Amino acid sequence: MRTMTYAEGIREGMRKKMMDDPNVLLFGEDVGKFGGCFGVSAGMFDEFGDRRVRDTPISEGAIIGAAVGSAACGLRPIAELMFMDFATVGMDQIVNQAAKLRYMTGGKITLPMVIRLPEGGGVSAAAQHSQSLEAWLAHVPGLKVVYPSNAQDAYGLMVTAIEDDNPVIFIENKTLYAVKSEVEDELKAVPFGKACVKKEGTDVTIITYGKQVLDAMKAAEALAKDGINAEVVDLRSLYPLDKETIFKSVEKTHKVVVVSEEVKRGAFSGEIASLIAEECFYECDAPIKRVGALNTPVPFSMGLENYMLPNDKDIEATVKSLF
Amino acid sequence: MTSIGIVANPASGKDIRRLVSHATVIDNNEKINIVERIVLGAQSLGVDKVYIMPDSYNIGYRVLDKLKLCEELKCEIEVIEMMRTDSMDDTVSAAKYMEKTKVGCIVTLGGDGTNRAVAKSVKSTPLITISTGTNNVYPVMLEGTVVGMAAAAVASGKFDVRLFTARDKVIEIYKNDELKDIALIDAVISKDVFVGSKAIWDMETIEKIFVTRSHPASIGFSAVVGCKTIIYAHDDFGAFVDINNGGSFITAPIAAGIVDKISAGDPEILGFSDEYEYVTKNRGTIALDGEREIEFSDNQRFVFKIRRNGPLHVNAVRALETAQKNGFFIANNSDVSELFQDNIGR
Amino acid sequence: MKISNEQLKEMYLTMLKIRKFETRAMDKFAEGKIPGFVHLYLGEEAVATGACANLRKDDYITSTHRGHGHIIAKGGELNYMMAELFGKEDGYCRGKGGSMHIADASKGILGANGIVGAGHNIAAGAGLAIQYKGTDQVCVCFFGDASTNQSTFHEGLNLASIWKLPVVFVCENNGYGISVSQARHQAITDVSVRATAYNMPGVTVDGNDVFAVYEAVGEAVARARKGQGPTLIECKTYRFRGHFEGDPTVYRPSGELEAWLKKDPIPRMENYLKENNVITEEEIKKMNADVDKMIDDANAFADNSKVPALESALEDVYTDIVEEGRIR
Repeated sequence: MRTMTYAEGIREGMRKKMMDDPNVLLFGEDVGKFGGCFGVSAGMFDEFGDRRVRDTPISEGAIIGAAVGSAACGLRPIAELMFMDFATVGMDQIVNQAAKLRYMTGGKITLPMVIRLPEGGGVSAAAQHSQSLEAWLAHVPGLKVVYPSNAQDAYGLMVTAIEDDNPVIFIENKTLYAVKSEVEDELKAVPFGKACVKKEGTDVTIITYGKQVLDAMKAAEALAKDGINAEVVDLRSLYPLDKETIFKSVEKTHKVVVVSEEVKRGAFSGEIASLIAEECFYECDAPIKRVGALNTPVPFSMGLENYMLPNDKDIEATVKSLF
Repeated sequence: MTSIGIVANPASGKDIRRLVSHATVIDNNEKINIVERIVLGAQSLGVDKVYIMPDSYNIGYRVLDKLKLCEELKCEIEVIEMMRTDSMDDTVSAAKYMEKTKVGCIVTLGGDGTNRAVAKSVKSTPLITISTGTNNVYPVMLEGTVVGMAAAAVASGKFDVRLFTARDKVIEIYKNDELKDIALIDAVISKDVFVGSKAIWDMETIEKIFVTRSHPASIGFSAVVGCKTIIYAHDDFGAFVDINNGGSFITAPIAAGIVDKISAGDPEILGFSDEYEYVTKNRGTIALDGEREIEFSDNQRFVFKIRRNGPLHVNAVRALETAQKNGFFIANNSDVSELFQDNIGR
Repeated sequence: MKISNEQLKEMYLTMLKIRKFETRAMDKFAEGKIPGFVHLYLGEEAVATGACANLRKDDYITSTHRGHGHIIAKGGELNYMMAELFGKEDGYCRGKGGSMHIADASKGILGANGIVGAGHNIAAGAGLAIQYKGTDQVCVCFFGDASTNQSTFHEGLNLASIWKLPVVFVCENNGYGISVSQARHQAITDVSVRATAYNMPGVTVDGNDVFAVYEAVGEAVARARKGQGPTLIECKTYRFRGHFEGDPTVYRPSGELEAWLKKDPIPRMENYLKENNVITEEEIKKMNADVDKMIDDANAFADNSKVPALESALEDVYTDIVEEGRIR
């Protein structure tokens, strides 16, 4: 066992596939010599050259569009948008083009492409650089959406994302980039649609992904002191979704708390909650609860931001409310 | 009343020469700017009325609006009311109207092609031709304001126009004894089989070049002749050369940024009483002043003549010199003084 | 520019195919055989034909909502096209795309598109793939005048320009963005002047003259194949029909359509071919009859094709996932 940061995990995944497959390339704003806004692609420009690691203009439509066009013509591009928030600027290309070209053309066009989207608050970046918008993207048929919570999954999901023949939304969490976690000596691909039970438990299921996996683990530790044995499920992949693991856990614990950093209104956590309500309502012996951000834009000032975003204490309190 | 006409071709400055050579791009907003400056220059020296050709971009109306808005318009602007075809015919019709209305001077903005169209219908009105790019022979690069001043001097009727005008030569092209078209500078017989994108740039397809004048300082096919022999606008003859027919090689600027080696025969002089008969042997086109205009198939008979039948062309610089020598710019002698006093009065 | 008589005839045939396909689509839409929206290419045939006559099978195009002409000119199969318009199983998109989404990757057709301006960036992407692989292919991006007001126009041309991508941007300026005339939707008359902002050549040609289009696009394609970067070519043209079938075209000034009908690109080319003895009256008759038969066959093919099985709606969302259906 060794440790690796989340950013290194992503980078190693990209490097692995770029070494394996000459058709893989990375482009986006400042991903070249600068190494990416958060340093994720540091060193890759020197390693692979400006043909395969390309700086683009600040032009999100062009970044995604170029990924769509080049993927349609046989490349396997990785497009990085500096912040998830900027997806709004390239939204037509993501939603109407990347997600739909295959379907609308009856399978005549295949788009093996990855869009990397760093999201989340906690860094005082305010409302246009801190959003968690996975619900928008998971809503769109034609996209696969994954969201690692640690270095090993970051590597494994990235490898799978690049190998996948469909457009994959690869969401990264900004506050996790520098977080180190243990990885196996030999890194492996992580299949899509397979959740990971981070901690087994018997009393309540906390379903989450991304940064909130860390918060949930912290909450579970605290809850244990109060005699509540929580199971923590890291979805890893929002679509395809591992319903089996979710339902199995609910059948075991009969209580569910779904956690995400999203603004709660219209959040993807609601999709998980409704799925459980529709398909395993009779296994629940308490209301399905959700923890999310408050229904405001993400504020700038640290105190305000901490108030707005969910944390481990919120999870702990919500779980306790079920007992 | 002193009036002038302005013909600004909205289509010039964006043909295929931007792709196949390195020609200047002029957009229509810049043409509006130039027309504004002409109007402002002209009205300051006594022009009361300016006729402008209507066009698809409404250059005339836009000039009118802009000058009114900034409260600088002193003269009357009339955009000629006529059926627009958005083709070269508009230029011909507008110029004809201006000549009929007896404007004192016509200013054209465009390339050799635009002036060729004007020359078809303007015989007696003095013509000032300004280039909207740098890629022409017939029009010259001149600041619009100054052109407006020159036009005012010409239109004022105060000076003998012979001091600054000359009648230009043209190449007349007859098909079956009927005048088919004219060229102001050059006519080129090409093996290109269709008119297509009009401009002509591929030396390999060229068979013959006829010129009214030739100079190495020109750009285009007349320069091919010009690099062999110089013929001035005032010379009472033109010439033709055979291309790609065993002649010696010569380096000439055939288009903006394109200086090619061309096999050209010795120029043969064509006087005003000469005519050159050409019977076509295959399909091809005749380009006039750089644009393919006439398509032909085999065994057709064309006659080329050089004649001094062109427009009365103003040397704007000389017109301004004449005006200066005769005191035209002394404030009391023109409307400038009134304007000046007006301003002091406020 | 050299062009053989065979090529000329081929181009004429393509124009006829587009004209007759579109005319049939117009009739079938009126009959109620074609659902949804249909945007016809009638009147603009010279642009697709002249442009695509310069392309090889392995070159790419991106198309628009008014895409039938581009697809036919790039070698699209009439049978599959008509079946798609009819929403049938044998259609290009298996009945899932319709008129606005026909694609055929095997012929380099990266798809018609329902979003105005979507093609600019996709074409830049195709250009990136070509440059990356180091081949001498090109991508021709078709789009209308109105799409040049979209941010994608700026983004796509800028990217293509800075990376010197082998893309030829072909603007079909038909004077309207749906019902809004060019004079009301942009402050220029010539889209080609926008090229200066991207440091690429910009050219305006008569889009109803197939030779002018052929020549200009030919030069631009040659330039792109040599790695010299993108070009913007504006083809001035006009759609004879409304924006979509059923559009009453109340926004057109009277006389405008009639004036453009006189510039119909097809009789124009036909006259040229006849005057220059490239083609005989007999050959023209035969070509017309041949194309009529192709259209009849396509029509019959579409009629005879089955409506798609309902479960097929669940396929092609992903390469490897079939979505869940519903039980009724």
